[in-house]
Amino acid sequence: MNPWPIRSRSLAAGMVLAALACALSLPPARMLIEQSMLWHMVVQMPMLVVAGSLLMQSVPAARLPDRLARWNAYGLTGFIAAQGIIVYWMLPLAIDRAVVLPATDVLKIVSLLACGALLARAFARSAVVVQLFFLGYTVSMLGSAGLYLLSTTRRLCNAYSLESQFSAGVSMLILASALTIAWAGFTLRRREGSGTPEHGANRGARQRLHTN
Amino acid sequence: MEPNSLPATERPGESAAGLWRTFLASTLVLAASLGLLFVATEGGSAFTTETLRRSAVMRSPQPIPDLQVIDASGVSASLLERRAADPRVWIVDFVYTQCASVCLSLGTVYQRLQAEITERGLQDRVGLVSVSFDPARDDAPALQAYASRWGMEPQVWQVLTLARPSDRRRLLDAFGIMVIPAPLGEFEHNAALHVVDAAGRLVRIVDHDDPGRALAIATALTR
Repeated sequence: MNPWPIRSRSLAAGMVLAALACALSLPPARMLIEQSMLWHMVVQMPMLVVAGSLLMQSVPAARLPDRLARWNAYGLTGFIAAQGIIVYWMLPLAIDRAVVLPATDVLKIVSLLACGALLARAFARSAVVVQLFFLGYTVSMLGSAGLYLLSTTRRLCNAYSLESQFSAGVSMLILASALTIAWAGFTLRRREGSGTPEHGANRGARQRLHTN
Repeated sequence: MEPNSLPATERPGESAAGLWRTFLASTLVLAASLGLLFVATEGGSAFTTETLRRSAVMRSPQPIPDLQVIDASGVSASLLERRAADPRVWIVDFVYTQCASVCLSLGTVYQRLQAEITERGLQDRVGLVSVSFDPARDDAPALQAYASRWGMEPQVWQVLTLARPSDRRRLLDAFGIMVIPAPLGEFEHNAALHVVDAAGRLVRIVDHDDPGRALAIATALTR
């Protein structure tokens, strides 16, 4: 079986998404993330994570150094590092800085791409229960941050208006629900294709994809 | 073959030694993340740029920049000269005269402060200064109109703007004001009360809905 078609598709999709996300940091599209918290937090940032994840998925696991993988059993280290990156970029002061300081914006792009890459490996290696733990944590964090953004009358980012903050809050709630549904759907589809739960599930998904 | 299709013991990291290594690595990464968040938020006390800015000013007062300003009567002078000529502590806010949103509440706050200063006879100790960051539209007549609209008493409350619009960036950066152009020629900006001592140092930044505290800090500085 040739493993390349699906990989090159991830590579192409990852590169396109990464390019689009980077374009949002450059004029003229930069206007969007400068004026709208929604475009910054709910469009650009998740786009970077997804792009990083697609790019990582385009690399065959056998090509990744074993030496690193040995420190990342069940993707645990990767999950924790990714979580740290996500929490940091949800701080209003970090968001303000990324709007005002170009160097911080570059750091944001690099770290969120890395976050996506770490998550791709972590999801590929971990059991459903570990995934659920981290997903649950991220979703509840996104959800409570979203609720706070849409309910507070305090302007949290100096860079964004209260209206912009409100719509970012609403869309963060939608994103949190969408993430849960997407993960559940994805996991169920994987498990359905294989008899054994957890690790066997990945094999089932791969086989199905390649026979398509 | 990918690691996932190997038996558990042959997948990298899932042997007993690998679990210990992963435990160690995860703990280190967790500690590093928490450390980063701790430093970024000043020990969990500041999550917004505004609180960060306020605590920085409180820790070390910052000199205000020397910029050329004009007042409502069109007199041009350097900001530091005006500061030096006035022995009072200033409470400074930032506005633009066509503002229809947050500066309206700032205007009301300043009106109340002006009334309280006069009532308590503090006009020799505390002065109010409104600075317009929209020098392109706010010329002396506009400032004059603003002054009469809000009933400014010149011995308590003065309004200034920049003589050179190109100084705007320096002014806003020095006071930590972020101004975003909004529709209909408006600006979105953070509103606060800035206490500037007689030596020309920005010593405290206080919420605009807490003028009592700004006045207390200002009067304490003149004692």
